[in-house]
Parts: sequence; structure tokens; C-alpha cells
Amino acid sequence: MAKITINEKQIEVPEGTTVLRAAEMAGIYIPRLCDHKELTPYGGCRLCIVDVEGARVPMASCTLPVNNGMVVHTETEAIKKSREFILSMLFSERNHFCPFCQVSGGDCELQNAAYHEEMTHWPIQPGWSDFKVDTTHPHFILDNNRCILCRRCVRACGELVGNFTLAVAERGAASIIVADTDVPLGESTCIKCGTCVQVCPTGALIDRTSAYQSHDSQLEEIKSTCVGCSVGCATKIMVRDNRIVRIEGDWEGAVNHGLLCEHGRYDPVTESRKRITSPQIRKNGKLEPVSWNEAMSAVANKIMEDKSGVAAVVSTRLSAETLNAFKELFADKFQSMLVTSVEEGVPTAVVTSFAQKHEAFEGKLDVLRNADTVLCIGANIHRSHMVAGFLFKRNLSKGTRLINIDPESSDLDFMANISLKTKQGSDLALIRGLQAVIVKEGLGRSPLSLPDAGQLIEKAVSATGISLEELNQTAQVLARSISPVILFGKGITAQRDEAIVEELHRLAVLVGAVDSERHGLLSIKGESNSLTATLLGMDKAFELNGQKTVYAAIGDDYVSRSLVERVSKASYLIVQASYESKLTEKADVILPVTIWAEQEGHAINLDGRIQSMQKAITPLETVRENMAVLNEIAARTNTAIESDWRKTILARKSSVSLN
Amino acid sequence: MNKPKIASDWMCGCAGCHMSLLDMDERILQVIELADLRSTPITDLKEPDAGGVDVGVLEGGINNTANEEVAHKMRKRAKILVALGDCAVFGGVPAMRNLCGVEAALRRAYVEAESNEPNSQIPNDPELATMTKTRAIQEVVPVDYNVPGCPPDADVIFYVLAELAQGRKPELKNDLLHWH
Repeated sequence: MAKITINEKQIEVPEGTTVLRAAEMAGIYIPRLCDHKELTPYGGCRLCIVDVEGARVPMASCTLPVNNGMVVHTETEAIKKSREFILSMLFSERNHFCPFCQVSGGDCELQNAAYHEEMTHWPIQPGWSDFKVDTTHPHFILDNNRCILCRRCVRACGELVGNFTLAVAERGAASIIVADTDVPLGESTCIKCGTCVQVCPTGALIDRTSAYQSHDSQLEEIKSTCVGCSVGCATKIMVRDNRIVRIEGDWEGAVNHGLLCEHGRYDPVTESRKRITSPQIRKNGKLEPVSWNEAMSAVANKIMEDKSGVAAVVSTRLSAETLNAFKELFADKFQSMLVTSVEEGVPTAVVTSFAQKHEAFEGKLDVLRNADTVLCIGANIHRSHMVAGFLFKRNLSKGTRLINIDPESSDLDFMANISLKTKQGSDLALIRGLQAVIVKEGLGRSPLSLPDAGQLIEKAVSATGISLEELNQTAQVLARSISPVILFGKGITAQRDEAIVEELHRLAVLVGAVDSERHGLLSIKGESNSLTATLLGMDKAFELNGQKTVYAAIGDDYVSRSLVERVSKASYLIVQASYESKLTEKADVILPVTIWAEQEGHAINLDGRIQSMQKAITPLETVRENMAVLNEIAARTNTAIESDWRKTILARKSSVSLN
Repeated sequence: MNKPKIASDWMCGCAGCHMSLLDMDERILQVIELADLRSTPITDLKEPDAGGVDVGVLEGGINNTANEEVAHKMRKRAKILVALGDCAVFGGVPAMRNLCGVEAALRRAYVEAESNEPNSQIPNDPELATMTKTRAIQEVVPVDYNVPGCPPDADVIFYVLAELAQGRKPELKNDLLHWH
């Protein structure tokens, strides 16, 4: 610990703390612009200068670690004057037109800093040189005229997202933010996650959709969880007048620490599907709007008629509560033999069935943060579960190695140190081959006896189509790592072969990815409540076996063409959905329901976190909540949904510990 | 004791700051009680008293030789000069044309703009003032108080005028300080 005195206030802080953070701990505010708590201190804007007793000149407090006995003053006349001068220089460098800027009036950190110094004008007028405005990006606009070169966007793009798209070109006052080698943003390597917009302190980076729609002070902020995929990023839904203005990543989020991907941030505000606003029943071959009462009694009658003959399929975007109610209603109460999810257990079933023998064998996403080698097998994580990818992608430039094994071409190929294009279905041979090389070379971290190692290696080479050198190299890199992590996805689980998971687990133990302390083996699963669905046993393939009626609770999800085909083989189709789709076109009854932001509930993400989703907006009166529809069906069929979702979910062993 | 004299004028602005001044509604009577409101662009008397005024208020930036004259005259005749609004303080929206220059701005407005006039030209009557770069007032004459805002709230204008009329120094901070 180090003792430091700031403005006569004495506090003790851990060694290595910066003066800026120490001041925060003491409740003293030091104005700053380039500083951001998720980014490495940079010392670019100099606004956080303080007076340190004994120092020759003012020091930038954001990059200055405390020394024991340091005496700091933050509000001397000289410092205040310097701050005003620094702001004057910042304003004079670009073209700031506060009257019509999106962030002016509370949301601009630069303007707020000027207000803090009680500046009524700019002592130095701008030079009026014109800077580039880039409007080529589908989601945001980069206006260099409003940029203060704090490089938060550049640092966020590299340090947090690991994409390194944004950079600074030119020198001195001519410096500008560019994408890649100064190409238009819309044609750059940008993955459109929007983190740069979220960290920009001025109006230099603004959202196309939310800009000029309101000041932050007029927005209601609802903390929730993204339903885009199984990563389960914490979000802040920004709402005005019952309308979602934008989505932000929550910096307090345990999984994502403020990051989101394009889908999480922009899909909800660019949704273009047509909303269903009234219950409908097919009459003389045509879907016609009817009352809820008519629709529900048709549904109830049909279910009473068919009971166990009703096949039921539910979206994993719905809440854990809804999934549990769905399962109880159709599987337990109506005794249907076919109750599953739209994912049909493709990303999860083998993982859960393996877990029945091996307890919770999967780790937490956090292991990715300090992995020195990541082996991705059958998981195009950068496309499907982007934010989980950021957690190691950001370290690739610092020496973390990526091994990507995927027969399909993958977004990870170009960033991988080793990219193996194996033949379809050769995973088992490959994994055993890797084990064999490691055992043969004596590189294993735990004992494994493989008497036929030579044979396994030969088999791996012939089955996968990769060379012996590639196999050897991959095994060596993996085995020589200190903190390896193995990630597997649909490419593996879709084969529905538990043996592959078992061999992956054995490999993970062999290379020390899994031991008594570390759990560096993860499956990335599918949608928001993928894990919940499999724990509820809704992970079977959807194949009609004599069932005449299908009840599909799709919510606001998309449905694959293959599932639509199989579902519509039924002679009577009831669809509970929010948007029009190929499936609703074929429905006999449509029950319009709420979307993710109009309902509350819980989601269990891929590493077992039980997270809550909040209701942010009020739906139209004519649509009902997913849960309410199921409850009403129960009531109309003389039963009730009684079970506690947490208890039911805990009844089956999970592949990852729940918390 | 004589009431302090206040005069105002506008230059390269949109008159919005004077509209905001009128927005103080019945409080304008309180200002008149405290001060002698002399020339303004919205009253009959247009020129500040040759004998001088106590407070001169200028709206708008300076973008031609006529504005320069107005600014110099007001500065000469007023003991205290107030720059009212973002154009007066920073240059404001009209200053955006500094990015392309006077020539290009005039050409766009008179020649290239969609028009019924087939041979439209940039006016060049020698009687006309000459266009210059758009400047904040402080770039041309010294300013005593900058009152930013687009426009400044009626509350802000009332506060500033009332303080000055009573011989106090207005301090713009917290709720009274905004640039938009």
C-alpha cells in the first residue's frame, strides 16, 4: 500500500494505482477525456494534469502511479488555468459546432469539461481547416471535425475487441482517425460491434439510428441481458417514449464488460420483420384476424382432442421460465412424446449427455482472457458468438496462439496461427492423433496410456487429410502451452457423437487445459437459453412420428428452413410468434406474442450464469406475453403450470456449474 | 441617479437571440425598471447613443465590412460589451462557411443554387459591404462578457442584463452556462 495526500486528504491505495484512480477513491474528481476505465491509460489529452509537490511540471494523473508520501494538488490556480488552456487548444484544433451536435447539451464529455472550467468562450479560435467525414458505415458516422484524438476508439478497437480496424493517420494537428489503410469505414475490416461509438467522448462517432433522437438525460436505462446468443452479454436498453433508441453494452457486465457485437447492438434497432398484431385463424384456406378468445378456444379444443398427439417445439430465445412452463405443459401434462427446442439439441445434447457421467466438466468464459493457446474446433465463434471471441482475439497480438480446426472456411482462419482444414467427420481421429503425438513425445501433463499411439497417428493423418508435420506442430503448440483452452462448437456437437466430447475432454486433461484448478474446456452452445433447453430435456431432433398437431412457440426467433419444412408436415399447426415468417404463413392458428424487450425472465448463458432479462417497453395491447399464453392454455385445458423453473433445471446434471 | 443605458444590435446571426430576449416576457418590464433600454434592432431607435451607453449587446458574428463597422461603433460607445449567443461568441453556424471560403459559399448560393433566374451572378454592387471570413466578436473588438447559447435562454439573458444594470458582474456557470 502507498500513502498519498490529494488536496489535503490522506488515503492509502494499492501500489501501482494511478493518481487519477487514487483521487477517485478519495472522492476527488479530476477532469479527464482520454481516460476510460476499461482501457489502458494513455496520457493523450493531458486534461487530468495535477500538481505534484517536488515535481518540476504538472503531471498527467492518468499515467502517473502513486508513490509513497506523494502530495498532490488538483485545484490550484495554475492547474485550473492550464486545464482551460488545454481545452482551448482542443477546441481550436477542430471544428466544433455545439448548436447542432448530437451530443451537445449534456452528452459531450468535451463540452462538459469546458463547463466544469466555467468557460464561456474559446480563447483561441479554430483554424477552420476541413476534416474528413466518413458516412459509409451502415451503423455509424465518423466525423473527424469533432474528434479530439483521445484514441479511445482506436484503443477499444484493438485492446478490447482485438480488431485493430481504427488507427490514426497523419501527424500533429493533421492527425485523423482512419479505418485500416485509410479506406472508407463501410469497406473496411470493421466488424460493426460499435464499441468505438460507445467510448467516444464527443460527437465524432455517432450512431445512425439513435443520433438526434434524444439526450441521454431523456432516456430511461434498463439493464438487461442480450438474447442474441448463449454468451449472454449484459446490456443497457435505452428507451424513450416506449421506443428502444439504442442498446449499449453494460460496463458492469460480468461476461462482456461493456462489449457487444453487431447483432446485440444493432439488430434490435434495425429490425425489419413485420410484426403480428392480432390472433389469426385459417378459415377457408386464408388466415383471418380473430379475437383472442376465439383463437384460444380453437387452440384449447385442438389440444384436448389430440393431447399426447401434439408435437411441441419452442425457441431457445425465450426465458427459462417460459421454457420450463412449455416443457411442463406439453411433456408432463399433455404427455407429448415430442417436446423439443428449435435448436433440437444440435449445439448441446451430446455435451449434456456426457455431463451425466462426468459432472460439470466445462469451464467459465473468463478462462479465455488469459489463455496462451486457444484451440477452436468446429466453432466459428467469431461469427456465431462474437463477444466470446473478443476475449482471446484481443490477445492474439500479444502472443496468444490460435489453432483453428474446421472443415468449413471460418472467420478465424485469417487470424489463426495454425488453421487445419480437416475432412468432414474426421474429428475423432484427429483428436486421438493429437493425444497420441503428445503421449509419444512425452509432453503430457497427466498420465495417459496409449499403447497404439503410432497407429493412431497414422490413422489421424489418413482420416483428416492433414500432413504429419501439421499434426505434430499442432500437438506440440498445444502441449507446450501453459494455459491452453479448448473451445468446441456446432461442428462437433452436430455429429451427436458423445465419444468426440469424451476424447476432447481427455485431450484437455492431457494438455493441462483441465486440471484441479483450471477448466479450459468449453462448448459455445447456441442461442440465449440453449443450456436451459437441454437441461429441461428439450434437445431431441424434431421428427414427427404420427403426431398430427404441432405447437410451435417461436417468439421473436428466426426458424430454419429445414425446421419449417418438418413442422409444416403436421395437419394442424399452431404458431406462437411475434413476427411474420415462412412458418406463420403455414399456420392454422397464430398467437401474437411479445418480443424479448417486452417481457422479463431469466437466461442461462453458455457458462452457466443465470441472468435476468428485463422488460423495457410495453407491447401493443393485442399481443400477449409468451408465458401468459402458456398459462391460459393450461387454464383452458383444466390444468396448471406449477413447477419451479430453477428446481426443474437443477434436476439434470449440467455440463457447467450454474450460478 | 440615472438608470444605466443598454443598447443592442445584431450582425451575422439569425435574430434568434433577440427572440430569446423577448422570451423573458413580463420580466422585460423589470429590466426597463432597472435600465434605460435604448437602441435595439427591434425598436425604433437603431443607433446606440453617440454620447455612449453603459452596456452594449451584440448578437451574431462578423462576416462582412458592415458588421465590422457595427462592432467597432458599439465597442466605442459602450462601456461594457456583451457578445450574445453562439455566433457572437464562437462564430456559430455562419462560421461553417470558413471551411470552404467566401468565394465558394457565394458561388453556391448565387450561381449553383437551383433558381428561376437563368444568369444569376454573385452581386457585385460597390455599395454592398465586402464579405469576409466569419469571426467571433472577440476576434475583432475586445469583449467584456461572452454569453454563449443557441440561443441563450431568456433566463440567462435576464440574469446577465439584470446583473449588469445593477452594477454587478454576471457569472455564468452551472444551469446558466450552456453552449447549445
